[in-house]
Amino acid sequence: MERGDNQSPQAQTARILVEFLEAAITSIVFLKGVYPSGAFERRRYMNVVVQKARHPELREYINSAITGLLPFIQKGLVERVAVIFFNSENIPLERFIFKLSVNQSYGSKVEEAELEFSLRSFFIKLPVVEPLTKVLPQDCRWEITAYFRSLPHASTSKDAELWIPTDTKEWLQPPLITPVKSMSSEPLGVQLYLEHPSVSELKP
Amino acid sequence: MSFNSSRSADSGSKSKRSFNSISSNRSGNSNSSDNSKKKKTTQKTLGMAWGSNSRSASRSSFRNSPFSDFGSYMAVKNQKLQEQFEAEATSSSNSGSSNGKPIFQGVSIFVDGFTVPSSQELKGYMLKHGGRFENYFSRHRVTHIICSNLPDSKIKNLRSFSAGLPVVKPAWLLDSVGANKLLSWVPYQLDQVVGETHNQPKLSSFFALKSSAVSVGSTNYVTGQENSEIEDPSLKGGTINDADSSGPCGYTDHSKPCSRDWDDSVHGNSTSVRSGEVTCHDGKFSEGNLSEPSNCLMLDKGSVDDLDQPSPCPPSASVVSDNAKKSTSSAITGPSKQHHSTLVDPNFVENYFKKSRLHFIGTWRSRYRKRFPSSKYSSSIVNASAQRTSVIHVDMDCFFVSVVIRNHPELRDKPVAVCHSDNPRGTAEISSANYPARDYGVRAGIFVRDAKALCPHLTIFPYDFEAYEEVADQLYDILHKHCNRIQAVSCDEAFIEVTDSEVEDPQFLASVIRKEIVETTGCTASAGISGNLLMARLATKVAKPNGQCCIPSEKVDDYLNDLPIKSLPGIGRVLEEKLKRKQIQTCGQLRMIPKESLQKEFGVKTGDMLWNYSRGVDNRLVGVIQESKSVGAEVNWGVRFNDMKDCQHFLMNLCKEVSLRLQGCAVEGRTFTLKIKKRRNDAEEPVKYMGCGDCENLSHSMTVPMATDDVDIIRRLTTQLFGSFHIDVKDIRGMGLQVSKLESVDTAKQGHERNSIRSWLASASASSKQQHEIGSPAKESASGEIDKQHIDESLGRFSTDLMGPAVQIGTNPSNFEAPSNQDFALPDLGDLDLGVVESLPPDLFSEINDIYDGKLINLMSKKKGKSVAQERVQVALKEGGGPFCCDPACVNENCVVDKEEKYPVDKIQSGPSNVGISTEVPNKLDFMPSSLSQVDTSVLQQLPEELRVDILQVLPAHRQPECVSDINLDPPSKAKKSPENQASVSSKELWAGNPPEWVAMFKHSNCYIFRILADMYYRSGSTGRLSAILQCTLSESQTLLDASNDGWDDAICCLCDLLKQYIKLRVETDIEEIYVCFRLLKRFTTKSKLLSQVYNVIFPHLQASVGESYGGSLNI
Repeated sequence: MERGDNQSPQAQTARILVEFLEAAITSIVFLKGVYPSGAFERRRYMNVVVQKARHPELREYINSAITGLLPFIQKGLVERVAVIFFNSENIPLERFIFKLSVNQSYGSKVEEAELEFSLRSFFIKLPVVEPLTKVLPQDCRWEITAYFRSLPHASTSKDAELWIPTDTKEWLQPPLITPVKSMSSEPLGVQLYLEHPSVSELKP
Repeated sequence: MSFNSSRSADSGSKSKRSFNSISSNRSGNSNSSDNSKKKKTTQKTLGMAWGSNSRSASRSSFRNSPFSDFGSYMAVKNQKLQEQFEAEATSSSNSGSSNGKPIFQGVSIFVDGFTVPSSQELKGYMLKHGGRFENYFSRHRVTHIICSNLPDSKIKNLRSFSAGLPVVKPAWLLDSVGANKLLSWVPYQLDQVVGETHNQPKLSSFFALKSSAVSVGSTNYVTGQENSEIEDPSLKGGTINDADSSGPCGYTDHSKPCSRDWDDSVHGNSTSVRSGEVTCHDGKFSEGNLSEPSNCLMLDKGSVDDLDQPSPCPPSASVVSDNAKKSTSSAITGPSKQHHSTLVDPNFVENYFKKSRLHFIGTWRSRYRKRFPSSKYSSSIVNASAQRTSVIHVDMDCFFVSVVIRNHPELRDKPVAVCHSDNPRGTAEISSANYPARDYGVRAGIFVRDAKALCPHLTIFPYDFEAYEEVADQLYDILHKHCNRIQAVSCDEAFIEVTDSEVEDPQFLASVIRKEIVETTGCTASAGISGNLLMARLATKVAKPNGQCCIPSEKVDDYLNDLPIKSLPGIGRVLEEKLKRKQIQTCGQLRMIPKESLQKEFGVKTGDMLWNYSRGVDNRLVGVIQESKSVGAEVNWGVRFNDMKDCQHFLMNLCKEVSLRLQGCAVEGRTFTLKIKKRRNDAEEPVKYMGCGDCENLSHSMTVPMATDDVDIIRRLTTQLFGSFHIDVKDIRGMGLQVSKLESVDTAKQGHERNSIRSWLASASASSKQQHEIGSPAKESASGEIDKQHIDESLGRFSTDLMGPAVQIGTNPSNFEAPSNQDFALPDLGDLDLGVVESLPPDLFSEINDIYDGKLINLMSKKKGKSVAQERVQVALKEGGGPFCCDPACVNENCVVDKEEKYPVDKIQSGPSNVGISTEVPNKLDFMPSSLSQVDTSVLQQLPEELRVDILQVLPAHRQPECVSDINLDPPSKAKKSPENQASVSSKELWAGNPPEWVAMFKHSNCYIFRILADMYYRSGSTGRLSAILQCTLSESQTLLDASNDGWDDAICCLCDLLKQYIKLRVETDIEEIYVCFRLLKRFTTKSKLLSQVYNVIFPHLQASVGESYGGSLNI
């Protein structure tokens, strides 16, 4: 992918964001211990240690899912990207939500270094939140889900056809939110927070 | 609306970039930065780094360089550096008047890390005196590694670090230059390294004796209660430590409930039991002991075992503590009767140690060292020869009692005990009892009331330390007369070693010595004679009282056969218990067990010890020098605090005591450990009056880069350490401060003198200096006390505020030097270079003049006949109604603030630029005007807001609010609100502007909490983040925030508005900030009712807002 000034600020931002999301999601999956730690290897990204999936399918899944979002992120259509962990009954147990906002009207040059610097803090904060997260049961499952602000029209991009509406089970009660990290700078704002089912949800 | 991202595999092929490519993109960058690092590390890690990294490094960043790989580049670089060095060397040795053979011929040094003097200076010396200086380490070119300090990691891998080369302190070079010949490097080996190599007996470990002789004052002070016997680890290779021989004579400790929680093995290892006296220990073991329990038992170091053990432990672990001297706090004589605790006696610490017997014993050692410096002989090597030797153990009979009653012959056969208090119902502990008293069951360590119950006519004497000292001196005079190979164990106990060739009959010698002792001192002594320390000591037990016993080597087995195991030194209750469970009661039974199973059961060292001891084998040598590894003071009796202030006061005194002890030993330390005994939650008031009862032992420690014995630094460190405990002062039952990583003063000093102002002031002739310390009482109170209530609060806060950075950056060596200079010795007035003094900036001059009590100015005016300076000083003095002393650390840290503070003083002059100099000024006496009216408002107005806030806080609390607002020029102050319209602010945009609207509004509110918040806005760095403000408030204000009750509704309403607006502002973009704010606010709710109400009001609103934006509720 070519870099340079011919890209719009939004495209540049989206590109950085997608890179970031890929690394961050891998780190989350690693953090939750869904796979044996041998499935990951340490890499340096933004000058911090991140995990990289070694298994080609896992890597492929994360990569393709996030890369597929690129055009939509660029247009500001993606509101949230969620990493959802389900138990064996397909009931979500924990959700890591990236709330994104890409300023569509931002016109000046994107300071890539500054942006990366801000995003770095997520990688630093992530390992710290581990105690706040739930312990996952055996044979759990996870997926990446993107929440759009509006339905993308098939015409806007042929990539859109590849996406299917999900029937992911949602919680009945509003969830409990535990913020992990927020960052807002121009033209990108990212917030990462955890969602857990509220106490009343667990009762029945 | 959501899409599942689980996509079919074929779509994946469209992905344009993969994670892989990201990292490879970056790898170029990171590699090159790696390289620069690696270059750096290779000089230290000795080429190890090559193998793994050089290839990749060469691929990425040296592709275009003329060198084929990194290695060849370095080779060329090294060669070039050498050539440069040689060129310089020839030129400098030509210029220098080097006569004859250069000192450092054949010496090639590599300097590792920070040294005093710097590596450049060392390089200069090498240049001048024919040595070589290597920039990069090479096994083949370097002959010595020079460094002052090594990180733990290097110590652990010493071999790979040094490649077996000597690691020497820079002092070696300096001293060699001074002596104009190449000195042996052995005494200059790095202490850490010396400590490390002790497990591997080499020739150098014998030479190391010399090094310990060099270091000053190896006195052993470790706290009033604990007196650790520490040996120079370097000696262990050939010798055996003396873990048990130091009991001052068996006074015993009463066992306490709290002593249950010690580590079993520790106890077992280190307890010693002596015949006739039951000794039991409480659990107050020093930290080093706990961490390395088995060290106590390195008693028999067969060389084979030595080799088996690599050297995994850092030097500190080789501290060997003897717990024989440990006692409960109660063994200490109490302070005078009226002042029983820290609560009532302001000089508690001082008195405590004055009356402490253990303190006496501890300090006695240093006294002994001074009296008989010759006892540090190094004949141990001789002992290694096959010559048969005898060891005589001389021990005074119930020393503490017999000394006291030597002038009361009528009491000789009556039961007598020594104790600091003779209150028959008291819980003071008997420290020593004579034999008639022991017949009644009176033992050391029992309470006076119990002793009186056992023996109603028991006579109790107080201590007579002077007499003890006198008798001990006499004792050692006699011993030294007869023999010069003496190991002083305590004031009343010693080992002497005689070879058979010197003395025909050691028994005869013993009887002669005993006779002389009785004649000279009027007290009796017992002696045990045998082939080694262990057996001699055991023999003494048989001999007591007033007898002597010889166990020849052929009878050792018979003697030991029936000896109960607990008689062996090193076997305490726990170990005894363990052995008993195995049906082992006597040494004979113990001997049945093979060494291997003992080692398996009890650990290598303990097992080894048991095996050897049960056979009467003891390879320790007489007369080894024991160097203290730590110096400290601990008080566990009578410690009760009502508030923080008491506690701070106590800590201050403790620091003073420790500082004095450090100075007494002529050492400085780098690691400071604060130990606290905290009452257990369920513990009752202890049985012993003012005792410590059932306690948890807590400790924190901190290591600073520069060794110090300075009381102010120690105090600051201690305050910081204390802060890290987060403990209720009411629960504190004992405190101790221990200093380790000791360095002897003469080597440590070098660095300090460089920076002190003295070197500026003193002209070359200043050889004789009158030393007196400058103590500034004002400063002590300002820096020592964090907890100032209300009125003093602002002042207190200011000082802690400023102290903050200094403490935090304390790891930086340069910062640490500065404060340590503050107690410098003043040069004599006549030594001052008047030329320098004259050209000093006026304020600096006035300071120095102040230090000299104004004499300086007289001198100057005499000289010049002109009194400009005097005017200045008078002005300064006039202004300085309330002398406010600024902590030197803050001067150092914050030149701007410092300069600013002087403004009131300087205002007549036109602000001299003293910033550069002020960092050098050691002891800063600053003047603050006594009230705001004396402040030049025009100066104040021009300051940045943050500084102004600080200044205003520093000013006395009786300032009028009008005053503040008068001088407040801040534009937003136009928005000043009167309290009554606070309620109507909701319409306003409180968070608009910079600083936000509310800050100005709150600042002039008459509600305390508002003012605090406004203050904190500036204090927290004016970021405009509420979380920072709250954080700051939480950490700074200890008092309850809601001081007054009136106007609550308004205040709550107002705060709610503030928070609501903040939520609105931030909730979309920064939920983390909101989250942090409310977490903090929640913590406030326990402190402040007002904030608790605010929290309750605002919480539903918060959840509603979050729900709106995020579809969930915040998990607070």
